[in-house]
Amino acid sequence: MIQPKYRRSFGDLSERALAFWLLLPAALLLGAVALYPVARLIYTSLFQRRLTDETGSNPVFVGFANFAQALSDERFWTALWNTLLIVLVTVPGALVVGLLLALLANLPFRVKWPVRLGLLLPWALPLVFAGLIFRWFFDSQYGVVNDVIVRLGGERLLWVTTPELLFWAVCISIIWKSSSFVALILLAGLQVIPKELYESASVDGANRWQSFWRITLPLLTPAILVAAIFRTITAFQTFDIPFAMQNGGSSFETLAMYVRTMSIENLNFGYGSALAVLMFLISLAVTLIYLRYVRGADD
Amino acid sequence: MKKLFWLLVAVLVMSTALAQQTRLRVFVGGQQRPDVMRKILDIYQQRNPGVRVEIEVGGATSDQQQQYLTTVLASRDPSIDVILIDVIRPAQYLASRWADTLDKYLPAASRQNLLRQYLPAYSQANVINGQLVALPAFADAMFLYYRADLLEKYNFKPPTTWDEVIQQAQTILQRENNPNLNGIGYIGAPIEGTVCTFLLPIWAAGGDVTNAQGQFSLTVEQAQRSLQFWVSLMDRRVSPPNMAEKPQDTIRQEMQAGRWIFGTLFAYAWNRFQNDPDSQVKGKIGVVPLPAFPGGRQASCLGGWQWAVSDFSRNKAQAHRLVRFLSSPEVSKILAIDASNLPVFPSLYRDADILRVNPWFAQALPVVQAARARPQHPRYAEISEAIRVNTNQVLARQKTPEQGARDIVNRLQAIYSGR
Repeated sequence: MIQPKYRRSFGDLSERALAFWLLLPAALLLGAVALYPVARLIYTSLFQRRLTDETGSNPVFVGFANFAQALSDERFWTALWNTLLIVLVTVPGALVVGLLLALLANLPFRVKWPVRLGLLLPWALPLVFAGLIFRWFFDSQYGVVNDVIVRLGGERLLWVTTPELLFWAVCISIIWKSSSFVALILLAGLQVIPKELYESASVDGANRWQSFWRITLPLLTPAILVAAIFRTITAFQTFDIPFAMQNGGSSFETLAMYVRTMSIENLNFGYGSALAVLMFLISLAVTLIYLRYVRGADD
Repeated sequence: MKKLFWLLVAVLVMSTALAQQTRLRVFVGGQQRPDVMRKILDIYQQRNPGVRVEIEVGGATSDQQQQYLTTVLASRDPSIDVILIDVIRPAQYLASRWADTLDKYLPAASRQNLLRQYLPAYSQANVINGQLVALPAFADAMFLYYRADLLEKYNFKPPTTWDEVIQQAQTILQRENNPNLNGIGYIGAPIEGTVCTFLLPIWAAGGDVTNAQGQFSLTVEQAQRSLQFWVSLMDRRVSPPNMAEKPQDTIRQEMQAGRWIFGTLFAYAWNRFQNDPDSQVKGKIGVVPLPAFPGGRQASCLGGWQWAVSDFSRNKAQAHRLVRFLSSPEVSKILAIDASNLPVFPSLYRDADILRVNPWFAQALPVVQAARARPQHPRYAEISEAIRVNTNQVLARQKTPEQGARDIVNRLQAIYSGR
């Protein structure tokens, strides 16, 4: 058999060399904006470096001392615990609400765009805006939430300044903000489920509840997993909403908020970097666990 | 041919003029009237044709501005030459080597002369470890704003002690019986202004964070008494129970909508009450020095803004010349008239042009002169956080005043001993 001859347009490059040169710009860009900062972060985390003293210009190598300090830092554990609580409440919360929204949007409406637009809006809104809007909702004097409580005969609650109440206010805001993203992914998943399955199920006498449990949910699992991965990773990075809701205060603090305070405000870059590395490792671990799951589901 | 020759000459002259032109960039905050700053910089450009000055505006509050500047300065970005910084920051700017100290442009004798003209508090605030870090732009202090119409209605004189404030607020709240009217407003949210709230009663009682030698000297009892005082205003129902939610500008906005009888706010509030189109209290607001605390003296918290030259500027000499102009009596007067900013020169408090616009400046000089400065420390950000977060938690009833006081003192002690 004669190999078809074609001209090599990029000089005399072999296919491998061509691939190398074509991928190089993307790889360089990725290295500059992703790998270098992470490497630099890990490097800085091994130094004592405070911009408020001489270590700002002459960092002192301290090995893993910053990490040891973090492990015995009560504030780190509180922030980690708060972050975990947010993950535990808002990820399932957003999945449930998102699934309901997706099922709603998947109903055979004659005009589809108002529902879809309503789905997209919270997702398109910047996180800080969502935080500020909900801060007003939960304002003790002027907020709509307390207004409803008072009309129902209850007492005004100090939502924003009572940590236990603030936690739930933050969770509600995050679920509102993130469930539309979940719904978008699930809606895409719903639309690829073949209609014939439902038809044959109803011929066999299955009710809607049964076809939801036996058809929709199993076939939607890959989409749910994808949504759960994205939601968990972003939940671990929760920053904007609790920050905006507290006027920048820190009586309820997530890990990302603590990292910011330590580095941007207190200018303790060494310790702040160590905290950020710990946060990175936690996110990485969670992602790896999920990825194993997804591969398992594929097999 | 002749025409072409002159054209060439003209092009040549213009291009050398352009080449010689220095471009400077000045950073100011959103609340510091960039419009008035532009007017001032236009005057400078007219007098110095070789210099173009651009304004960069950022951040509505001191904290937000500093967050942005931290990113710029920590990366040694040369794009900003001159920065307007809060009075609490010179020590940190010096320690971080972000400011080009101004001493090299000023012989010791003329530095002495220059600094003597300013209000003493500002010459002190800008000299850290003997080095001149910045020069004052405008002064600020906390005052008591009150609803003159309501006080008059019940035949009250402007109060001079907190006991009087409390009593007047109680009477007016009771008789007005208006659910939208609040009594005494003070800053309680976890923001910078709350540091002043915490320190005011301590200063009035003769205490401070450090002693004259700069050593840490705050006691748990002093801190506790201060926190107890602010909590007691809520207990006595002259302040609403949600003071922990209130940043300064929220109180200003609410007072502007007619919702407060008293407010402890910085000087900027006056201009907003009188001139904002949506102000419901035009001509109804009076302003007096902060009242004396029980068993103590009066005290006010020193604010104010300073011009610093960035250490990463490529035009330090030109930037320094600009800063000398910006910190001159001429500019202080423009800022006083156009932006109601308190002058940094004592003599300007008697200036007829300024008093015509801001009649209350006549009373303001003793307040600014007596106002106390917050601690000067390279790690001020951490000091501030310890104070404002704990004070906020006490006001939110998450901690008792005693526990809050203990937490503040312990944390500050650790910072002052270098931990």
